[in-house]
Amino acid sequence: MPDLQRFLARLYTDDALRARFLAQPAAVARECGFNDADAERLAAEIDAESLTLAARSYAKKRSLKR
Amino acid sequence: MRAGLGWRPEIGAAILAHADRIDVVEVLAEDFVEATAKERRALRMLASCLPVVIHATTLGLASTEPVDAERLEAVARVIGWLEPESWSEHLAFVRAGGIEIGHLAAPPRNDETLEGLMRNVDAARRVIGSLPLLENVATLIDPPFSDYDEGQWLDLVFRATGADLLLDLHNLHANAANFGFDARAVVASLDHRRIGAIHLAGGRHIEGNRILDDHLHAVPSEVFDLLAMVDTIDATIIIERDGHYPPFAELLTELDHARSAALSGAALHG
Repeated sequence: MPDLQRFLARLYTDDALRARFLAQPAAVARECGFNDADAERLAAEIDAESLTLAARSYAKKRSLKR
Repeated sequence: MRAGLGWRPEIGAAILAHADRIDVVEVLAEDFVEATAKERRALRMLASCLPVVIHATTLGLASTEPVDAERLEAVARVIGWLEPESWSEHLAFVRAGGIEIGHLAAPPRNDETLEGLMRNVDAARRVIGSLPLLENVATLIDPPFSDYDEGQWLDLVFRATGADLLLDLHNLHANAANFGFDARAVVASLDHRRIGAIHLAGGRHIEGNRILDDHLHAVPSEVFDLLAMVDTIDATIIIERDGHYPPFAELLTELDHARSAALSGAALHG
């Protein structure tokens, strides 16, 4: 399996990747190197609203540090 | 048991002016990694007035990648010249693959994370000379590929690393609200002998019926209720406030409330 934390870090910080993931989670996970089973698990376990809220919170923290 | 506040420059003068009502202060390590000689003297002076503990936020010990050696050395230098009673870090990852997330991200609660955490905690112990207290983090997203619930995860972490717990009760309260579990059941399941410190804070409700742990609000009653369940006899209790500071008397009242709840907890465990 690809590095999960690296994938999550990208998902939390890359707006374009996150938008594509939210539209087609399993397909984008496969594109990032996850096999079918892991991609389906990611799609099932990542809640869209939670991901959006978390990413927004992290973006705000990053902006405060600049 | 003793109770104190997180040291923030905005309330530093008030902390010193009311040192008789504050048992301990918690200093953020990263605020002092580039401290001038004058700033170091000031912090040592603080430490001569009140017991000081150190809290680190950027090591990312729950990362599957090795802890950043330069950051670890920097925190070690602060601990070296301040000589705090203890130090702590979070059960979080903050970067991966060269990407800085910007804040504490909850890691997947699984064996792969546990292995990385064990390596990083051991590295930190070797460089700093003591184990950190490890703090449970708040999160708005339940990390995927989590094989353990929050209580199981904390139990595993402390068995595997040997480190004790910095139990953040607002983080636990927020996660319980955000993901629908019982915070009281988690508190009841913990080995209270392994709770070395406790954090209290306040947050706010946001969309999706979630709680954001922003440290900008008063400690809610639910968190004091959780504190009253904990065996606090040997614990250091810290109220974290990062902004929107109220009149200092309100923070002192919160400290009194914390002491009262903590005494209830200590009495409960007799």
